Amino acid sequence: MPKRILRVNMSKLETSFEDFPDSYATLGGRALTSTIVSKEVDPTCHPLGPNNKLVFAPGIITGTVAPTSGRISVGGKSPLTGGIKEANAGTDFPQRLARMQIAAIIVEGQPKGDDYHMVKISMDKVEFINANKYVGKGLYQVYKDLFKEFGNRVSICACGIAGELMGAASGICFNDPEGLPSRYAGRGGLGAVMASKGLKFIVVDDTGAPGVEIKNKELFDQGREKLRKALAEHDVTKPDGALASYGTAVLVNIINEAGGLPQRNFSSGQDDRAANISGEKKAEEIKIRGGTRPHHCNPGCVIRCSEVWTKPGGKDPVGVLEYESVWALGANCSIYNLDDIGELNRACNDLGLDTIEAGDTIAVAMEGGMLKFGDGKGALKVMDEIRKKTPTGRILANGCAFTGQAFGVTRVPVVKGQAFPAYDPRAIKGIGVTYATTPMGADHTAGYAIATEIMGVGGTADPRDTNKSELSRNLQVATAYLDSTGYCLFTAFAVLDIPEGLEGMIQSVNGVLGTEVDLTELGMKVITTERDFNKAAGFTAADDRLPEFLRQEPVAPSNEVFNVSNEELDKVWGA
Amino acid sequence: MAILVKFFGDLAKKVSQKETNIESPFSLKIETQGIEYIADILKKYSIEKSETSHIFVNGVYSGFKKRVKNGDRVGIFPKNMGLLYKWYFTRVEDD
Repeated sequence: MPKRILRVNMSKLETSFEDFPDSYATLGGRALTSTIVSKEVDPTCHPLGPNNKLVFAPGIITGTVAPTSGRISVGGKSPLTGGIKEANAGTDFPQRLARMQIAAIIVEGQPKGDDYHMVKISMDKVEFINANKYVGKGLYQVYKDLFKEFGNRVSICACGIAGELMGAASGICFNDPEGLPSRYAGRGGLGAVMASKGLKFIVVDDTGAPGVEIKNKELFDQGREKLRKALAEHDVTKPDGALASYGTAVLVNIINEAGGLPQRNFSSGQDDRAANISGEKKAEEIKIRGGTRPHHCNPGCVIRCSEVWTKPGGKDPVGVLEYESVWALGANCSIYNLDDIGELNRACNDLGLDTIEAGDTIAVAMEGGMLKFGDGKGALKVMDEIRKKTPTGRILANGCAFTGQAFGVTRVPVVKGQAFPAYDPRAIKGIGVTYATTPMGADHTAGYAIATEIMGVGGTADPRDTNKSELSRNLQVATAYLDSTGYCLFTAFAVLDIPEGLEGMIQSVNGVLGTEVDLTELGMKVITTERDFNKAAGFTAADDRLPEFLRQEPVAPSNEVFNVSNEELDKVWGA
Repeated sequence: MAILVKFFGDLAKKVSQKETNIESPFSLKIETQGIEYIADILKKYSIEKSETSHIFVNGVYSGFKKRVKNGDRVGIFPKNMGLLYKWYFTRVEDD
């Protein structure tokens, strides 16, 4: 069976399969979602109107036995940034799609009326099922109900209550291996785009699927073995390495020591209370409580950075508490209690919210006087405003910039309307260049300069040096390639340091495709496509800037401001 | 005045000589007598260089030959909290 595209027309409630065009033959993941969005979506359309589209695409290598390759890219025009968006997640959902030879799902149109629908995809049919009974309900219970109904050989994608509110802070939810709604393509408000189309769930059952076609099996096998070996050797990715031992929150204490862990809505870069919410603390608590660590977010991951956090006594599993979530809902709100953070993370998952956007939003609301910094229980109550769909909840569900305006706050950490992740760009400048210049809005994953600046992976850099355009550009281009392959971003630690790992990654991708794809060429093509979309949507160089307060307020303890010149920022893409 | 040294993860376990309820970081204030460089701190606590990964002195990523003085804050991370394989990064050294 050749690769195909599933088109879901929500205006007519019809679906159809199309041949996968030759012009897309070497594309997958982010390269495919951004290309389809660029080709089929008017950049000036309203993101929540009938002319926007929502595109799902597994990576090129996803669904094969290549290690750590279960990533999905979700694309569309973002209601948060007004530009192109790709958000991605690690989950078994794209592995099933890929095995069914579905290279992309394109959701388009908009139904009349208020009904919500589920699309159920199996090898013999695609059907619409009315989903109204799930509207307004938390996703933990809903996922339980859906897995009970469909069995555990399916994967489920959903938007939550925040999406139903058309909230620009909403994400798209996927299940983890336990069936918990904890894996998110979180950024950019794509949950609202899904909800705007009356689409509540996609359920995928791959029973009887033929599997991914591998054009050059010998090359693929050689490549994946080299990559597996590199991942098994590298200190970050090996079985007892940093990520498996402590999860992504291993970074809490490291970035805090570097003076770059934003506290109290970006008013400081260090606080000793961060130790209470660190990766070490969390790993120890999980052991005591009987949660799970390490854990994979999808079958075939050898890094296993994930975990299952629970309440004391091993009750009520939440899923993973990622570094970014622990920071956003914790240190950035002056909340230094893992139980409070765990419950806030649960609320985000339950409501269909991006944890980064939600945490930054709460911090800005705290600064605006809605509640006090450090008030974990109060923050949980605030989440209920979203659940109840109150006017306050509607403000919060629209994210950090919107909430900043509503509360008259000037220290609002956003680029292109999207909230900052967990690194202060005054102390670690290269990540600030990426925040400013990626087409995505403030996004650390778009060009992870932290790895080079703090951790010494794959190059040399001084975090306080201001000549960062080349570093950021190279990382953004490499990331765009990686996001297209379906390999997890964390494989980058091994492939940037171990030449055979990189060689193996490229061989495995070329083995699946049966042709050679140049890393830089593909990565650059993706970024150019995305930047062209944004230009047509009205973006200029003035949008590639960080907020004013970062140039004016020195951050403790380094006392640095963001002093990378606008000329240096514009050099990233030669604008 | 003294030097504030914070040992993280397995190094906290080693220096505190505790098997359970290990605090990470394990913080100590040490006198500067006999301590001129980061390497001297490692020697004092019988830590091999190969057991370490990231070292920060006042937030600056530093090497074993970084000088330390009264009032400094030093963070030392163990090998398994390192997010690097080869140390391409230029560490700040004084000698």
